[in-house]
Amino acid sequence: MLRTRRVGRGLSMAVCAVLTFSFFTACSRNKTGSSDSITVGVVLPITGREGKPGQYQREGIELAIKQINQNGGILVKDLDKKLPIKEVFYDDTSDQAKSAAFAERAMSSDNVVAVVGAYSTALGEAESVMPDRYQVPWITTGAAASTIFNHGYQYAFGTLSPTNLLGSTTAEYLGTLVDQRKLTKGLKLALALENTDHGVDYGNGIKEWIQQHPGYFVVVFSENFDLGSPDFSGLLQKVKSANADIFLADAHLQDYITMHRQYLQSGMRHLMISYGARGPESDARKALGDGVDYIFAGIWWSRNLPYPQVKKFNEDYKAFTGHEPDSWYPATAYDAMRALAKAIENAGTLNKTAIRDALRKVQLNDSLLPGQTLKFGANGQINTPFVIVQNKPGGKVDIVFPKDAATGDSIAPTPKH
Amino acid sequence: MTLIEFVNLLASALLLAGIYAVMSVGMTVIYGVMKIVNLAHAGFMMLGAYLALELFERFRIDPILAALLVFPVMFVVGRVLHWLLVRRLPTSDQPTLASLLLMFGLWLVLQNLGYFIWGNADRSIYTSHTLSLLRFGAVTISTVRLVVFGAAVACMVALHLILNHTWFGRSVRALIQNRYAGQIVGVDDQKTASITFGLGIGFAGLAGALLASLYSFNPDFGRPFLIRAFVIIVLGGLESVSGVAIGAFVLAFVETFGILFVPAGYQLALSYGLLVVVLIFLPGGVAALTAKVRRLA
Repeated sequence: MLRTRRVGRGLSMAVCAVLTFSFFTACSRNKTGSSDSITVGVVLPITGREGKPGQYQREGIELAIKQINQNGGILVKDLDKKLPIKEVFYDDTSDQAKSAAFAERAMSSDNVVAVVGAYSTALGEAESVMPDRYQVPWITTGAAASTIFNHGYQYAFGTLSPTNLLGSTTAEYLGTLVDQRKLTKGLKLALALENTDHGVDYGNGIKEWIQQHPGYFVVVFSENFDLGSPDFSGLLQKVKSANADIFLADAHLQDYITMHRQYLQSGMRHLMISYGARGPESDARKALGDGVDYIFAGIWWSRNLPYPQVKKFNEDYKAFTGHEPDSWYPATAYDAMRALAKAIENAGTLNKTAIRDALRKVQLNDSLLPGQTLKFGANGQINTPFVIVQNKPGGKVDIVFPKDAATGDSIAPTPKH
Repeated sequence: MTLIEFVNLLASALLLAGIYAVMSVGMTVIYGVMKIVNLAHAGFMMLGAYLALELFERFRIDPILAALLVFPVMFVVGRVLHWLLVRRLPTSDQPTLASLLLMFGLWLVLQNLGYFIWGNADRSIYTSHTLSLLRFGAVTISTVRLVVFGAAVACMVALHLILNHTWFGRSVRALIQNRYAGQIVGVDDQKTASITFGLGIGFAGLAGALLASLYSFNPDFGRPFLIRAFVIIVLGGLESVSGVAIGAFVLAFVETFGILFVPAGYQLALSYGLLVVVLIFLPGGVAALTAKVRRLA
């Protein structure tokens, strides 16, 4: 009797083991065995504090995927057929730990050929250790800090130009205003920088330009602040006490809105004011109305760029999402997906190392970004120029720098409200 | 620092203290009576902010006025939640793991409900007085902040009067002092707890509606305030409304004036540093200190 029971228990365990094995084998086959599509992982925040820009970036990626699939997909020479792209999407909820975990999951379990996404420096940094570990190409569409690209990672790429270039372009733009005699030489700058590598790079870019162009500006105040703070009155009081002529902050969207609201409520006024790469967002205008007029921003892309492909993108994007592109967010994501598709086609295989090698050589000659050519540098990051835009009354946003892309003149110094 | 700069900072600190007080008071009353750390407080603040937005967008009701309408709605929400969930928690003199988990779970549910209904976009309320200023010579004060401060003071006074001059207030204070003794002398602890929970949620919603006129918000709204609310109620003494007011003032002053001496990036470190100092040297908070001083006197 006892023996029969033991045999029965043993049989049950064996059956369970076989069923479990079959289940996992089936799951595994389901994930890796499919050769009728190319799986691409997308990890972005569509909830949490970065939810809005993350959502815009997701829309850019999905528009590119839709267009590629409508054209039959990507030709893979090894398989001698065109395959559509299948997206595996994860919302990291603006949380660094989740961002890294989802990138890892996409690379290790979903058998993706590449991961695209990672909006914001903090989330990008969290993900950036994964690509080399799993040897899967990774393209960040929203992180630009030098710390991500200075580690010598072999599988990391980015479609945002370095943040220190944003800082130096901002200073260069202000320098041209001095040359045009709209501003005077020797003006004092106050810098308020977010407490991240993004903020550090931005500040360094400005300071480097000033060092290379002595006499234009002098930095009289430079301090970091915490992201997501509900109150900036102390910081702004310090800025006020510094008696600076120009106020340059580097802030994320929510911090930009909160800080600028308090800036206006404190009655402060500077000759020029910028929040780094934030400025033209419709959310800011909804929150602060005319209060955002004359703010200028250095951004990676503008929908006003005078390129035919930008015009077409604007139309396609609006048809796809029902709204206009808001600031630069969707464009870098759209181009990242297109660059990846082109690299896969050039590689002619779904081998991840071959795709990585192809990404190093890929050149997108109809890029939406300023300069119209997207090419990854030796460190994996692109180096396209920035455009400076300025908010004008009535909700208008003009490109004011560089001159050959300008859609309007700079208004400097800022008129009294 | 010039005198004008000092007065400007003083005004900022006072107005910030008002904001901090109104967002913390709801948490304190719930903790005092029920020993529940309301981790979902931020979620109810978020609901209050969105209700104010709906009232503003649909009926053009000013967010300050909307806050008064949000309060009774959230009070009812609080009582319903108490009846559905909270009353089933085991009663204890100390915060229990079950209550912490329930409240944390509730916060996540509220957040996701927010995403489901309103999406992930940052929303804000822009009125004609959003950017208006009052100038007193070289000192400038934001009109909205001043109004929010006034509303916060009014709330604190109203709560103080309720707690000190009504039968319900006596019941609440009895339960805060000793739950079992309160029951022995005839306090209906379930009814009092239910009303208190409603009040706490009502104040959270009211705070959210008031803050909606100052900040942009999304369903994740309230997270940075929640951390500060913890600091304030520990500073104030966990169960004391007047302690909350003092805690809010202390934190606002430390944050505002502290960054004159340390970089602004360490603002949160100042809050946490204060929390650690209070926990070590003054675990009962300001309320315990004043009680001790009174005894000695």
